[in-house]
Parts: sequence; C-alpha cells; structure tokens
Amino acid sequence: MAIEWYLVLSAMLFSIGFIGVLIRRNPVVILLCLELMLSAGALAMLAFSRMLGDQDGQVMVMIVLVVAACEVVVGLGLVVAMFRRRLPLDVDDMKELKG
Amino acid sequence: MSTAIWGWLVLLFPLLGSVLIGFTFRKIPPKMAGAIGIGAIAAAFLCGIGALIALQGEPSESRHVASSLWEYASVGGFQIDLGIYVDPLSVFMVLVVTGVSTLIHIYSYSYMQSDEGYHRFFSYLNFFVFSMLLLVLAGNFVLLIVGWAFVGFASYALISYWYRRETATKAGMKAFVINVIGDIGLVLAAILIFRELGTVEYGAVFERAPEIFSTNQWEVVAICLLLLVGAFAKSAQLPFHTWLADAMEGPTPVSSLIHAATMVTAGVYLIARSHPLFELGLTAADIAAWVGLTTLLVAGTIAIVVTDLKRIIAYSTMSQIGYMVVGVSIGGYSAGLFHLMTHAFFKALLFMAAGSVIAAMANRQNIDRMTGFGKAMPFTALMLIIGALALSGFPLTSGWFSKDEIIDFAAFRGGMYEVMAIGMMIGAFMTAIYSFRIIFRILPGPPCEEAQYLIDNGHVVHGEPENPATGEKEDVEVGYPGEDHHIAEQAPGMKIGMAALGVLALIGGLVQIPGVTDVIAHFLDPAFEDSIYAGMHPTTEESWIGLGEGGLISVAGIAFTWFLYAKRPNIPGMLERRFGPVHALLVNKWYFDEIIDFVIVNPVKGFGRFCNEIFERFVINGATNNSVAVIRSAGGVVRDLQSGLLRGYAVLMLFGIVGIGLYFLIRSI
Amino acid sequence: MLSLIIWIPLLAGVIAALAPQRFAAWIAGTGATATLALVIAVLVGFDPDGGMQYVTDVTWIPGLGVDYNLGIDGLSIFLVLLTAAAWIPAIAFTASRGTARPGLYFLMLLAGETATLGAFLSQDLLLFVLFFDLMIVPFYFLFGIWGKDRDGVAASSATLKMIVFTLIGSLLMLVGAIALAVISADGGELTFNMTELAAQGLPSGSQNWIFWFFAVAFLVKMPAFPLHGWMPDAYRAAPLPALAVFSAVLSKVGAYGFLRVVLPLMPDATELFQTTMLILALASIIYGSVMAFTKTDLRLILGFSSVAQLGFITAGIFALNTSGGEGAILQMVNHGLVVVPAFLIVALVAERFGGEDLVGMGGLARKAPVFAVIFLIVTMATLAIPGSANFIGEFFIINGLFQTDVAIAIIATSGIAFAAFYALRMYQQTLHNPLPDGADSREISLRDGLMIVPMVLVTVVLAFCPQLIIHGSEPAVDTVVTLSQAEAGE
Repeated sequence: MAIEWYLVLSAMLFSIGFIGVLIRRNPVVILLCLELMLSAGALAMLAFSRMLGDQDGQVMVMIVLVVAACEVVVGLGLVVAMFRRRLPLDVDDMKELKG
Repeated sequence: MSTAIWGWLVLLFPLLGSVLIGFTFRKIPPKMAGAIGIGAIAAAFLCGIGALIALQGEPSESRHVASSLWEYASVGGFQIDLGIYVDPLSVFMVLVVTGVSTLIHIYSYSYMQSDEGYHRFFSYLNFFVFSMLLLVLAGNFVLLIVGWAFVGFASYALISYWYRRETATKAGMKAFVINVIGDIGLVLAAILIFRELGTVEYGAVFERAPEIFSTNQWEVVAICLLLLVGAFAKSAQLPFHTWLADAMEGPTPVSSLIHAATMVTAGVYLIARSHPLFELGLTAADIAAWVGLTTLLVAGTIAIVVTDLKRIIAYSTMSQIGYMVVGVSIGGYSAGLFHLMTHAFFKALLFMAAGSVIAAMANRQNIDRMTGFGKAMPFTALMLIIGALALSGFPLTSGWFSKDEIIDFAAFRGGMYEVMAIGMMIGAFMTAIYSFRIIFRILPGPPCEEAQYLIDNGHVVHGEPENPATGEKEDVEVGYPGEDHHIAEQAPGMKIGMAALGVLALIGGLVQIPGVTDVIAHFLDPAFEDSIYAGMHPTTEESWIGLGEGGLISVAGIAFTWFLYAKRPNIPGMLERRFGPVHALLVNKWYFDEIIDFVIVNPVKGFGRFCNEIFERFVINGATNNSVAVIRSAGGVVRDLQSGLLRGYAVLMLFGIVGIGLYFLIRSI
Repeated sequence: MLSLIIWIPLLAGVIAALAPQRFAAWIAGTGATATLALVIAVLVGFDPDGGMQYVTDVTWIPGLGVDYNLGIDGLSIFLVLLTAAAWIPAIAFTASRGTARPGLYFLMLLAGETATLGAFLSQDLLLFVLFFDLMIVPFYFLFGIWGKDRDGVAASSATLKMIVFTLIGSLLMLVGAIALAVISADGGELTFNMTELAAQGLPSGSQNWIFWFFAVAFLVKMPAFPLHGWMPDAYRAAPLPALAVFSAVLSKVGAYGFLRVVLPLMPDATELFQTTMLILALASIIYGSVMAFTKTDLRLILGFSSVAQLGFITAGIFALNTSGGEGAILQMVNHGLVVVPAFLIVALVAERFGGEDLVGMGGLARKAPVFAVIFLIVTMATLAIPGSANFIGEFFIINGLFQTDVAIAIIATSGIAFAAFYALRMYQQTLHNPLPDGADSREISLRDGLMIVPMVLVTVVLAFCPQLIIHGSEPAVDTVVTLSQAEAGE
C-alpha cells in the first residue's frame, strides 16, 4: 500500500487536533486534542519506519507514547487542581503570565 | 660657591618664604609674615649679588652656566631638565627683580597693614617673585613656560586679591585667559623649536639655530612670531593689552611690582633671551618693533585722556614697554634692558606715590577730584615729581639716559628705523604730557575735601569704602583702606621704599652715561657677543646729540603741559568739546575691548549658546532619546505578544513551524 | 597576585553586604586599602622594561581558546594604581555622609572596582570584554537606586539611557571580539590571547569594520562627541562619590582600550582611520570645552570638561607616536587624580550652598582659606597650568599631534584656552565674589580634608617630577605605537 494514505490520515488527525487546540477553551478537550496531534505524529513516524524497513521509528513511537502519557498525567493533574479550586475551566481566563 | 648654586639659592628663598607664610598663616602674627616675606626677597637679592660676583670671576667668553637638578620629563628624545641658565642677562634680570621687589615688599609691609589678608598677600607676593625668578633663570623653553605661567597665576591671584569685588575677579579672569593665550603661543613655539632643532635647552638651541636656519627661513620666523604672541600677551602689547588696565583692580603695591616693574617686562626679556632666533627671523623682529611702536603711541594717547590715576600710569607702562620692545627688537639689547631697569625704578615709584594719594582719597582714583596734595603730602608730592621727571626723560634723570639710548640706536640703524625713532620722539612728547598732567592736576591748587581733612587731622579720611571702578559700596570685609591705615608720610616702611626708589630713579641712569660709564652695556656684552649687532652702537657724540634732543623734547612737553593744565586750565575742556569724537575714541581706549568682544568673545559665546541650546538639545539629546525610545517601543511590540493567551501562543507556534517549513521548502527548490 | 588584586574588592563587598550594616563601611574601606597596598607592592617590584609581568595564565574555556590571563605592564600599571587609589576616598566620603542600605552600596561600589581592575589587567580579549561589560552593571544600580531625580529626569530613566548606550557599545565589541578571533584564526585553533592575536594578524579588510565595533564601545564609555548623549543625565543623577570614581577611572578604560586592543590588534585600520579619529577627538575637545563654559551646573561643567580631556587623550593616542601616546597615559593618570578631588569638592560646595548650580554661589574663600587653597590647586591642575603634570601631559600630546598633523595640533590648543576659562570660572564663582545670603561658608573639616588632600598631594608631587610616570610607561607605549608606526611606514 502506498505510504500517502497513512500520511494523509496522519495530517488529517494532526489538523483536527490542532484546530481543536485553537478553538476549544476547555483544558480537558485541549489535552485530548494534543494527544491527537501526538498520535498523528506517531502514525506518520510508523509509516516512514515501515517504508524504510527500519525499527528505529517504532522505538521512537514507544518513547513518544510514554512521554504523552506523562504529559497527560501532569495536564490532568492540573485540570483536577483547577477543578478543586473551583477555577473556571477556561484557558483564556488564565493569562497571569502575560508579559 | 659656584654661580649655579647661587642661582638655585635665588630661587629657593622666595619659594620657601611663600610656602612658610602659607602654611603658618594661622599661627604667626601678621608682622612676622611681612618680615619673612621681606627677608626672603632680600636674601634672594643678596644671592643674586653672589651670583653676580661669581659670574664676573669667570672669563668673559664663558660667562654662562647651565645647571640641572633632575630630569623633569623626557619622552622619545624630547628631554626637559629642571635646569637653570645663569648668564649676565639672567643675573641682570634677577638683580632688577629682587632689588625692586625688596623695596616694594618693604612698602607693602606698611601699606597693607590694615588689610585682612595680610598673610595671603605676602605669600602670593613671594610666590610671584619666585615665579619671576624662575622665568628669568629657566634653562630651557619649557621651564620658561612654567615660570611664565606661574607669574600669570600670581598676577591673577593678586589682581583678584580683593575677591569680594566682582570687578576684581573679572579683571583677574581676563588677565589670566589672555595670558593663557600667550602661553599657548609659547607652547607651540617650544614644540616647533624641538621639531626643527631637536632640543629646547637654551645653549643648544642658540648654538644650532644658525647652523640649521637660514635668515628669514619661514620656520624660524614662525617660531619668533609664536614667541611674540607670548611676549605681547605678557607685556601688554597690541592687541593683547586690554588686561593691563583692568589689572589695576589689584592692590597698588601689586600694580607697582607686577604690572609695572617686573612681570610685564618679561616679554622684553624673552626677546632679548632668544635674540639668536630673532636675528635669524628678521621679519618677525621687525614686526615686533612695529607693534612696539604702535603700542607706545596708542597707549600714550589713551594715557593723556583717561582720568583714573592708576590707569594713567598703567597705560604709561604699556607705552614704556613699547619702547623696550622696539629697543630689543632692533638689536639695541643693552638699551632696551637699561630702560627696563630704569623704568622699574621710576614706575614702581610712581605707583607707590599714587597708592599713597589713593589711600588719602579713601580709595578713590579719579584725578578730577584730587587737588592740593602738594600741601597735604609734601613727601609724596616730591616722589611723584621725581617719578614724573624720570618718566618724561628730564635731563640727568634715569629715564633720560635710557629712553634716548633706544631712540639713538633706532636713528643709528637708519632706514625705516629712522621712522621709528621719530615715532618714539612723538611718544616721548606725549609721555611728558601725561606724566605732568598728573602732577599739575593733583599737587597744586586748593586742597580738596580729603586733602584738607588730612591736613587738619593728620590721618586718612574714612569714607564708606567703595569700588573705584563702579562706585558701588564695598563688601565691608574687603573694605580698604582700613581704620589704621597709614599714608606715606607716616609709615616708615612706605617712606623707605619710596625714598630708595626715588634716589634710584634720579641717579640710576648714571651707570650708563655714554662714553663715561657704560656699565650696563659692558656687563651685558658677554650675553650678546654672538649677536649680529655686537659692536654696533652710535658713537659717543651721536649719543650726546640724541640726549640733547631728548632733553629738549621732555622740557618742551613739560612746558606745554604746564601751559595747558596750570596756566590755562580751561583749554583741555575746550579741546575735549572741540574734538568730541577723538576724545570719545581715546577715552574708550580705541574701542579695543569692544572690538575683541565683537570679533572673538561674542562669536565664541554664540557658539556656546548654539551648542547648548540647539545642538545638545535637539541633535544629541534627540538622538539619544530617540534611540532609547526605539528600543523601548521595540520592547513594547514584543511585550504585547506575550498575551498569556494559550491559544495565541499556539497560533504563533503554527506560524513559526509553517515559516520554518516554508524556508526549507524554498531552499530545497 | 593580580588575581588577589582583582577579587579582594568583591570579596570585601560581599562581606560588607552580609555583615551588620554598621561595619559595612569599615570592611569596604579595609578591602580597598588592602587592594591599594597590593598594587603598591606590585609597583615596587615592577620593571619598566620587563614587558608583561606578574602573568597569571590559566585555561578557562579550552574549546573556545579563552584563558584566564592576567598581566600588568607599563600601559596599565599606573591606571591600576589610580583605580585602587580612587576608590578609597569615594568609600570614605560615602561612609562619612552615610547612605541608605550601606551594605548593598559598598557591594556595588566594590564590584565596580573589581570589574575595572579586571579590565585593566586582563590580557585575554574575551576576558577584557567580559570585565568591560561587567563594569557598567554595578554603576547602573548605584546611579539608579542611590541617584537623585532632577528636573523631570528620573534617575531610573537617566540610567536606562546610560545602560542602553553602553550596552550597545559593549555588544558590538563582543561581536567584534569574536569576529576578530575567528577571522584571525582562519580555520586554525581559536585563541583570544591578545599577544597571539597580535602575532597572527588580521586581514586589513576585516580590520576596517571590526575597528569601528571596538571604537564605538570605547567612545561611548569615554564619552566622546557625538556619543556623549547619555552623560549629562547620568551625571546629574549619580551620587557624587560613585560619580567621582566613574568619571575618574571608568572613562579611562575606554582610552586604555584603544591602546591595549585597537592599536596592537588592528594596526592597518588604526592607520587608515587615524585622521577620522583625530577629527572626532578634536570635536570632543572643542565641543566639550564650549559646553563646559556655558553650563552652570557644577557636575556638568566637570562632565563636559572630561569630554574635552578625553578628547585630548584620544588625540594623543591617535597621534601614533611615542610623544602623543605617553602624553595620553600621563594625562589619563593626571585627569583621574584631579577629577576625584574635584567631584568631592563639588559635594562639599553643594553642602554649603544647598545646590550644585553656580548661579547663587560665591564668597566661600573668606571663611574657608584652606578649602580655597585645595580647590585652587585642583583648578590649576584641571586647566593644566604649566608646571603641573597635566601640562606636561598636554604638552606631549600636542607635541605628538604636531608631528602628525600641524593643523589639528593648533586647533587643539584652543581647548587649553577654553579650559582656563571654565575651570577658573568654577573656582571664582564658588569661592570669590560676594557671599550670597543663607550660605554656610564654613571651613573644610579635618575629616573631609584627609579624604581630598592625599590625591591633591600626589598631583603636587607629580608636578615636580612627571618623569616618575613617564619612566615607568614609556617602553610599553613605545612598543604599542611602533607597531602602528611600522604599519604606517609600509
């Protein structure tokens, strides 16, 4: 099968994720979309790895998945903390780091 | 002791005196400070005599000694030693300076007694004498500049001695700045001398100059002209003369010592000292002579009309220095220096006597108000008459011999120098007029208010102290003369000083009677033996004819003045009205101050204002503030991007990634 | 040895900041005095003909060829001495008047000393740049925190101006330094050692632009016309003791940089831009002098007179002969020695009149004769009266210029006449003329006298024997300028 299909799928997933990050304000959804973008990247890498017949890509994907899991843990932890403090779950309201 | 050690001792004593008085001013009583001051100068005078005797012991062809203490500064072959050069010329100057200084110190001891800053006065005065001696004894051009600037500083300090007076501080500033311009001339001259000759030591310079320069080569003319800038600034010759009249703000002994007898003649000394250069740069020497002639005529005309007693004498000083400058510039070295000496005597005397009158007038200086002092102060009157006689060159007084020797020499040189001689004769006539104008105004007639007070009470009137220049009321702390001020008749110190100078002014000329004594000329000869004018002098008969002419002019001038001011006292007023514009021109000193203001001072001030108000504000500050503002606003742009909006950052990231991707895409194509 | 000299002040500063505040001044003073003692010890063992001495050379960043390389020679020794000496009266004066947060103040002041000494002593280009940049940091805080707001110019904005200017210069210099090392290594091993860089040589094309990177940094620091825009505001804001050392020493680092870095490393460009630099120097002399005599604020008079003096020094350096270079070194030391007492005198005068503007001053001399004499000596040295060491400095500078370019030499002398005017005006209008009402004309106190008099005494001693400095520095100056002369001769 041609590699293009995989790449198109990956690009679509990435775009959906990215648009999600841009337009949604709920941090939980943003985290989900981020995961989607990471998965899109992982998919593309798997496809290339397969095409080149090289195992390195697979290994990289495993690492990415682990990192993504960590990230979700931290992100969700933050969300839970916000929820506990009864802060609005809206990223636009949190801009105290503004320069 | 060797000549050199005597020379160093001459320098040491006044410096010690100055430092000693300066450091102990709180501890010692005023009288002791005065005594230290007098003692130091007297010791210097004795050492000068020691140097004279030691020098005369040498054979005449080796009568010059150079001695150096240590290397002062030396860079890249430019070596300057802290050294002195003793020869007949410098010993002559040392003796004149220390001799007259001693007498003036004695005079000041009494004259300044009622002043608050007695210690300061003597410390400065001793420092001045030290600087002047350094100037005449210096062994190279750089040290000469040091002495030159030190006398300028001492002169400044003493002109603004009464520093609460704004006129005095302004006058001091003017004198200092003009003298600095002179210093710059000397600095450039020294640098040019070094460039051409590779040394600044007198001996070596004068030895090499004739080998390297041809006559009137432009370099040597340039050197001489630069030296002349210094000489003119110091000796108050045109166009650098304006400071001298203002310098009369200083106490009268200062005017007497610095601005008449010694410092202002430094220019004459300089020309005489560098005569080997001037004899190569003949054009410069001629220019100097013409400037001297112009100055003596211009100053003479001003002296005839001004009414401030001290300023009359000041302009007379300028005029007499004009004679000396002409003398040394045309090769009559001993004549010029002889006049320097006699002038020191009679001009110091005139100032002292004038100081006595001014003190009696409660510090007022306008001669229009002074009458009848002949009766009020007979001794002072006698001294004034002696001074005026010598100044106008009355036969047998010192001025007669010296002034006419210069005129004779000019006439003897012939050609255009003959014209100068005639000019100087006219000057001599004016000299007689202005000096006897003082006499006929002040001495005869009914005593004025102050003089009458003096006759009645035997001491000086104590008016409200006021500034003689502006008439403003004085700051009391500077008020002078104070309660216990003496006039010459009563204070022994002033009497001694004046009497001694009076005698010298009368008979000082006898040392140089043509064909009879000629002491000065013989003594100075070794210093000028390499001169191209060596051995050139008028015959004894010619000299006596000249003296006869001079005597006639002087007597005629005095008679004319008597006619104008004593016989027909209404004529001067009539002349003033008839020749209003000329009188205005002269009273305003030929508008030199205004011209200098217009040509130099105002443009510089205008440039300063332009720099300050326009350039600095708009260009420099504008550029500075703008560049700072640009950076600040650039920071502002970046700051606005930090919105804190998470999604905004995401968009930026997108653009960034796309941008990088595009970059590589385009590059791969 | 040299490391000790550099780091002792900083150490003392840190201790002063941590120790109880009432000991801060004593600790700072001890540190500065110890530094001076060490510098004098170095001077005693110094051999004028010995080239670089007391060398410390430790590899610091091997990959980049950066060494911790210190050394002292005739160019730097008297400037180091001046630095060590200048800081003591500044500390003493601050201590006597008291200040807010003394510990922090002395830490900043002494950090400034460390950086300045480092700049004078480093023989590694990158180390030099580093210290040069560090110098400005403590002074930024000193001027900003302890400074005064004036006429709508806040101290903070004045210092911002200063920091922006000097940082631009410094960054340019950093770029220049790196470019210089990379280009002259030409693919070989990278080094920042100045001696090796000079030996490697730099293509003249690159010299021409790198020259300006350095020149701008140094000219800003001096400051020289037309890059002095930051100076008036910063000078007016600064606390006087800090300003005294800033004006006396930091400005000299710029001039020193020309001698140490530009002349040896970029001889071709130096020769090419000689006339340009001379004209800039001349503009500084005239502009500084003219501004000095139109201003009435005492600080600004001194500030602009420094611009003029630094103009003379730059002119002397770019005369590119021994006379000019030696005159410049002498003048750097002299000017430093005069400026510190001058600024402290301004502080004393301001205490008596309650302001720093000449208008409304006058008449102090009556009650304060000793103060008048001290001020008079400083004034005379400032206007370089013949007989002072300052005169000898200017004399040799003009002599050097005269050999290079007669016209420039003659125009430069006008600066001397202007100096006579503005320096004397400052003296007269504070000490002479009538005393205004409400002024407090007391005599200088013994304590203040002890801070000012030693430096004045050094000035007086040097007046009798400027050869002391010339003797120590002439061989080094000779080496530097002959490098450029050799280029010019080609």
